[in-house]
Amino acid sequence: MTDTRYLALGDVVADELFPDVDLALRRGRHIDREDNLWYTFLIDAQALLEAFYRRFGCELTHPADGYFYLLPTGDKLGRRHLSVPEMLVGQALTLLYLDPATLQSGGVIKRADALSHLAAVMGSDALTRAFNPKRKRVDERVAQETVRGKFAEALRRLAALGFVDLLDADALRLRPGLLRFAEPVRGRGSPAEALERLVARGELVLGDGGLELDEDGEERDDEASDEAEAEPAAPPPVPFELPSEVLSEFDDFGENAPLPEAYPEPEPYPEPYPEPEPEEET
Amino acid sequence: MTAPAKDPQIVLAALARSHPVLELGTLDLCFIAALHLHADGAGLSAFDEEKLSEVFEQVCGLVEPRADNLKRRATHAIQRLRDQKLLARVDGAGILRPGEFALTRLAAAIIESYLEDESLTRENLTQLTRSLRLSLAEILTRASAAQAEDDWRSGVEAPLRVSVSDLVSGIERRQRSLDLEQQAFQVQIAKLLESDWFGAVDQCLELLESTSRTLTELNEILLRDAHELSSVLQDIQEITVTAQAEGAEAAVERVMEQVDRIRAWGAARQRAWSEYYQYVHRYLCDVVRLDPSRALIQRLREQLTQHTKRPFALAIAAAGAPRLLREIEPFKDDKPKVSRPRAERERPPSDNDAIDQHAVVEELVQNALSREPSGLREVTQSVSAETPNELQFVTAGRVAQVVARLASTTRDRDRPWVSVHEGLVIEEWKIAKGGAHD
Repeated sequence: MTDTRYLALGDVVADELFPDVDLALRRGRHIDREDNLWYTFLIDAQALLEAFYRRFGCELTHPADGYFYLLPTGDKLGRRHLSVPEMLVGQALTLLYLDPATLQSGGVIKRADALSHLAAVMGSDALTRAFNPKRKRVDERVAQETVRGKFAEALRRLAALGFVDLLDADALRLRPGLLRFAEPVRGRGSPAEALERLVARGELVLGDGGLELDEDGEERDDEASDEAEAEPAAPPPVPFELPSEVLSEFDDFGENAPLPEAYPEPEPYPEPYPEPEPEEET
Repeated sequence: MTAPAKDPQIVLAALARSHPVLELGTLDLCFIAALHLHADGAGLSAFDEEKLSEVFEQVCGLVEPRADNLKRRATHAIQRLRDQKLLARVDGAGILRPGEFALTRLAAAIIESYLEDESLTRENLTQLTRSLRLSLAEILTRASAAQAEDDWRSGVEAPLRVSVSDLVSGIERRQRSLDLEQQAFQVQIAKLLESDWFGAVDQCLELLESTSRTLTELNEILLRDAHELSSVLQDIQEITVTAQAEGAEAAVERVMEQVDRIRAWGAARQRAWSEYYQYVHRYLCDVVRLDPSRALIQRLREQLTQHTKRPFALAIAAAGAPRLLREIEPFKDDKPKVSRPRAERERPPSDNDAIDQHAVVEELVQNALSREPSGLREVTQSVSAETPNELQFVTAGRVAQVVARLASTTRDRDRPWVSVHEGLVIEEWKIAKGGAHD
């Protein structure tokens, strides 16, 4: 256990697993028992790492379902909220995770099954509208293609966050981290109360996490959105000031300056555009 | 002699040419099973036609109790089985007397796979590996003493091909049965939870534990015994190689491959089952035990359907990737750059630039008009004679403009086009005599 393996934070940081685990957590990865070494490392170092991450304004969370994740509660570490497609796909996958029928295959399902399950629960029209929110008139074929594209993209992102494993082009394995999507409905109280409690804890926000759409209504470039969202809240920049010796050069700024003796003759015609300078021969 | 390895393509082509088809309904399968059980129970090697019909009627009474016309149905069923080479006539008497029929090897194999659920157990695996060890030890002794080719064939090759190979095949067959059993367990666990949810937890755990225990035991036996078997087989192989007994060597290799396969099966199944075990265990602990009333799925389903009306979004950490500042290395490009020779863009001053072409044309036109030409063509011809070739067309226009300005011109209704010289045609104007303006 923790007390015997790591005596101080220095021991944890010195562990060769620390950099990878730390980076993964900071990028939103959910680490569960299937990440054998990482999970064991986190279990062993949990007490020390909780205090460590608290200094960065985030909580190392370890629900009873057996997974770890980092929850930013302050502004020091970047945070983002899952987009609408990610939320919808995540909840559909959670439903499948909870379904006893999935046990038969050890939590491995087909992508097509996941999409058809989502469509069956939400209804095809509602799903299409949810994935094409800004388009009033859409060709059915185009809209369905968009749904498939966004579904695949959401799966890819959820896989990067440790909610699922993409096994091959067709299959994926569901992971315990998915139970986070069921948090609002797990307690005995009303979902609204649970949502309020989770909002207060910073676990989620009410409203859309964003469709990640740009001004043209199209989905934003992944890298661009990642970078934009991943930017940590920085302190306000210090105003730029020129050095005093430079400023002294402009002491007479605004005073009447003597006119030049003669204005140059204006050129009768504007200069034609210069021809491009040919390359120097080397 | 070693039988040459069969080329799969040739075998498949031959099989395809014979157009084999198997179409068996439940009634047919039950009929075959009944025949198999009758033969087994009564020690029968063949059935006469009457007995076949009798067995069919019994089966029909169980499977399709409302069926009528049983005699005719029995005749059709027997014919179907004969057509598919599942039932063969064995008496060879032709039309002399009613025939006797027996189930073929194909029918026996099919029905055994349904009826004999003998999967691998600790007991039968131990028994099989013990028999294997004894057989191989005996073969090793014979191989050490073998001198003549016949000794190799009858004492080593034949036992390896028949008895040892059959024993290993027996293990493989039971392994496949165990695979099926595991699949059935997985389905059973899912069904148990589906039907009883929280009440099924203990049963599921029991199934998981028993299967895990079985697999662990089998894997241990396989690892230990397969190692011993491989060791004896290697000894036999060394002797066969030294004695250059190719047939026996090939037989040993085949058995070695089989032994490797059964050993690999144990490790693979245990690994796969271990993953499944952990997954189900977690499911039982995290999902079933924490949600005994099974309300979570329903509530989550409602949450999903209402998501567009009451959306929310999970928060996750999203620290950007660290940016590493690097020194920029200048791009080294050894290839010659594409360039063109430097050219003087300013043209040298020329006298021509100072000449006003308009004035020149006007002067030439005035001169031509002074000679009282009859029309525009004559004027244009006289000016063109003084003009460089590249300016002929432009000059013709200027000439027309100057003539219109300096002289009185008239045009026919037809406006004829006339040739000034080769390559230049203009519309002809008539110039009035002394018609020049002031």
